[in-house]
Amino acid sequence: MDAAGAAGLYLHCPFCSVVCPYCDFAVLTGRPDKRRRFAEALVREIELRADAPFSFDTVYFGGGTPTAQAPEELASILEAARRHLSVAPEALVSLEANPEDVSAESLAVWRELGAGTLSLGVQSFDDDALRLLGRRHSAEQARRAVELALGAGFETVSVDLIFALPGRDEASWFRELEAAAELGSQHVSCYQLTFHEGTPFHAKRERGELVEPGEPEQARLFRLTHERLAAHGLEAYEVSNFARGEQHRSRHNRKYWRHEPYLGLGPSAHSFDGRRRWWNERELKDWQAAVEGGELPTAGEESLAPEQLALEALMLGLRTTEGIDFGRIRERTGRDLLGANRELIERLESEGLARLVEARLQPTLDGLAVADSLAALFRLD
Amino acid sequence: MDHVRNFCIIAHIDHGKSTLADRLIQACGGVDERDFRDQLLDSMDLERERGITIKSNTVTLSYTADDGKTYQLNLIDTPGHVDFSHEVRRSLMSCEGALILVDASQGVEAQTVANLYLALEYELELLPVINKIDLPAADVERAREEIDSDLGLDGLEALAVSAKQGTGIHELLEAIVHRLPPPKGDPAAEPRALVFDAQYDAYRGVVVLCRIMDGSLKKGQRVRFMHTGKNYEIEECGILKLKREEVKELRAGSVGYFIAGIKTVRDIAIGDTVTDASNKAPEPLPGYQEAKPVVFSSIYPMATDEYEDLAKALERLHLNDAALVYEKDSSAALGHGFRCGFLGLLHLEIVQQRLQREFDLSLLLSAPSVRYHVYMKSGEKQVVENPAYFPDPAEIDRVEEPFISASIMIPERYVGAVMELCRERRGQKTDLRYLSQGRVEITSELPLAEVLFDFYDKLKSSTQGYGSFDYEMLDYREADVVKVDILVNGEKVDALSQLVHREKSRMRALHYCEQLAETIPKHQFKIPIQGAIGGSVIARTTINALRKDVTAKCYGGDITRKRKLLEKQKKGKERMKQVGSVAIPQEAFVAVLKTDTGD
Repeated sequence: MDAAGAAGLYLHCPFCSVVCPYCDFAVLTGRPDKRRRFAEALVREIELRADAPFSFDTVYFGGGTPTAQAPEELASILEAARRHLSVAPEALVSLEANPEDVSAESLAVWRELGAGTLSLGVQSFDDDALRLLGRRHSAEQARRAVELALGAGFETVSVDLIFALPGRDEASWFRELEAAAELGSQHVSCYQLTFHEGTPFHAKRERGELVEPGEPEQARLFRLTHERLAAHGLEAYEVSNFARGEQHRSRHNRKYWRHEPYLGLGPSAHSFDGRRRWWNERELKDWQAAVEGGELPTAGEESLAPEQLALEALMLGLRTTEGIDFGRIRERTGRDLLGANRELIERLESEGLARLVEARLQPTLDGLAVADSLAALFRLD
Repeated sequence: MDHVRNFCIIAHIDHGKSTLADRLIQACGGVDERDFRDQLLDSMDLERERGITIKSNTVTLSYTADDGKTYQLNLIDTPGHVDFSHEVRRSLMSCEGALILVDASQGVEAQTVANLYLALEYELELLPVINKIDLPAADVERAREEIDSDLGLDGLEALAVSAKQGTGIHELLEAIVHRLPPPKGDPAAEPRALVFDAQYDAYRGVVVLCRIMDGSLKKGQRVRFMHTGKNYEIEECGILKLKREEVKELRAGSVGYFIAGIKTVRDIAIGDTVTDASNKAPEPLPGYQEAKPVVFSSIYPMATDEYEDLAKALERLHLNDAALVYEKDSSAALGHGFRCGFLGLLHLEIVQQRLQREFDLSLLLSAPSVRYHVYMKSGEKQVVENPAYFPDPAEIDRVEEPFISASIMIPERYVGAVMELCRERRGQKTDLRYLSQGRVEITSELPLAEVLFDFYDKLKSSTQGYGSFDYEMLDYREADVVKVDILVNGEKVDALSQLVHREKSRMRALHYCEQLAETIPKHQFKIPIQGAIGGSVIARTTINALRKDVTAKCYGGDITRKRKLLEKQKKGKERMKQVGSVAIPQEAFVAVLKTDTGD
């Protein structure tokens, strides 16, 4: 392992009460007995990975809806992780939850578990938008959930929102941003709606029943998002992520963007040790069959060539405001991408897409918006 | 000689020429059932796909007629496009008769009329054949009437067949034997053989296809090609029965091949006369014309490291396509390539497709151009077919462009549309002549450059497919020709420069700009695209900057997938041509150079 820093532990809990029509994660619905069997299998996988050469300072329950698991199931998973893996005592535990599951009682239980960050799948503060997205909570429920969570003593409460919905205009998104900011959560994630193949939303778009806003409108919404949240003290640190100050930035997620190691457990979860990436069986039954049979549920893996590592570092770095760290890329891959791309970097600077600050190339807001195509411009040799 | 019949089939595209040929070959036992495939004579994939014949081909059939005698039937398949009219003429010269094929459901078509005139020019005996009588829409009686009225042949004598079902094939073979004349010619005279096509065999070199007019050819004989003046010794001669079959001697009246250690088809000329090296014929056969390229375009490999492969591929192609000429060329935007000359646009397209399919090359072609005569103020004359070498307008006295004499056959009702098309294309002395009831021939003197761009397509669409078109080169005439440059983000893309008549320059430039704007993907900056003559911009479009493309989420599981997308994107970029800071995809060049200009 050659990546700097401690690793992140990701625990994928695939169950949801309903599957949202835009979601393409490995999710499913299921009764309590199925969820319990899953929790036991996840504990089993933790035991199987006991020799993984990682030490963790973050633990992230994602999904799915981790809070679809009973509190004692979450507790037993966390306990197994602490027992079999090298999890630092002060490791930050994050938990994703849905607004409809938030109550004074549930918040107390999650705090009891040791969760420091609570990430709420609000998605919208508008009832029409929530209906379109097939969510089960109302705007009012969402607001109340955020307020309750903010009073429950978490280090960070985060609100997830989705924008660029079909048929919604800029003004309605503006109102949502204001609502989110005024509630006072320390962290906000704003994701542009993506029409993933295989989802009902994608099918509807193909049939012309849903119309995706065009690129110019997407660009306006993106800019509006960043400008409004910044005005409220929520600074962007990644394409879709905003925080009130350094201490509230997601320590776990930044490991992905900084190319630091992580171990993912549960169906479909990916792991990375700095050179090699592997991933688990995506389907619950395949993953479960392997784990229950005492086998690692790994479905595939790849070893990254220096060129691939460099390309990933570029594409991930360009997603963040801290930018590309050429010095670190050089240490890890032996490639001087700064030297090889002088001309390009000058052009990006003159076009206002990025700034070179010492050996870091930091995208501007315009640069962040086109990060995908910027990464393809770099020479890797 | 009495037992030989040389004939070809004249038909409108789709009237069943290839199927009829297949059936005749089968009826004469020319092919085993297991070797049979449709369109036996069309050996190139391209021919099968497009239903056209590009190379001439020939097959010798052995037919025992009802009179008990065995006849040698030589079916000479001819190309069906104006680009290859040279070959068509040579093929017709090798025959004494022609089957005029008419579709029973569609009646006589314009192209048939045009080719009929050509056949009459060579005094061929014509045998009308009504095909597809099995179709529900077949109207044999009407077809007979049209043969009477439109072709001026006896409709009652027309044979009714269904090549598909094999109906009437026996009667047709009898008619070929009894109604088409045997070849004439003097078996005792000095040998004269007409070269009507050539094939290339990787092991034996050039296989010359010829019709023996007088005398004979045999193995070991020293022969002379009268126009090129070259001598060779015949190593093998024979007849073509789908495969080559060696015979001792090719006698007057017969059709066959010979192999004489000729390395490339460039060494011979189609239409040349072969005679005996020591017993020379006093005169060659008439009608020889050198096949001259009239359309020029530069071909570049998409990937610069494929240049050597392209060079080899052209060399190979040239072995059996003598009409193709090429020389080295280079472009600032596209790197090294070749400037090539073609017989016409179809020929160009065929060469392009063969390079891509048979040699697996990815290519870019510059805008096709004709050959201009540029008269300088200094009194010097330059021949320019490459826009890159067009001189400074200030030093030019005048420019002349090639004109063709076009002959267009159409049903009367399309006269207006076709006259208009000729006018738009700067036609001169456009005239019309009634051929027979309802049929019209429009003649027009047109600049060849105007025909290069989709003239044939426009003709077809404005006559609902009824129009046919043939042309011959006429002369050079003065024209106001300008060089239009295309600038992408301020940089000239030299491969897109072209020579155009001033009247058409703005429209052409705008078309180019719009096509580029549609096919060049958005960049991170605004890209102006301009068309210019010298320093003055005559057309302009802009590609707006890319504003948003970043995907919303990128966590653990997305990274591999996203990197793979990016790798694909980078690979795609490598195949693009970099002009300054703009990456132009191959499709952009293809779109610009191919589609019609809307005029």
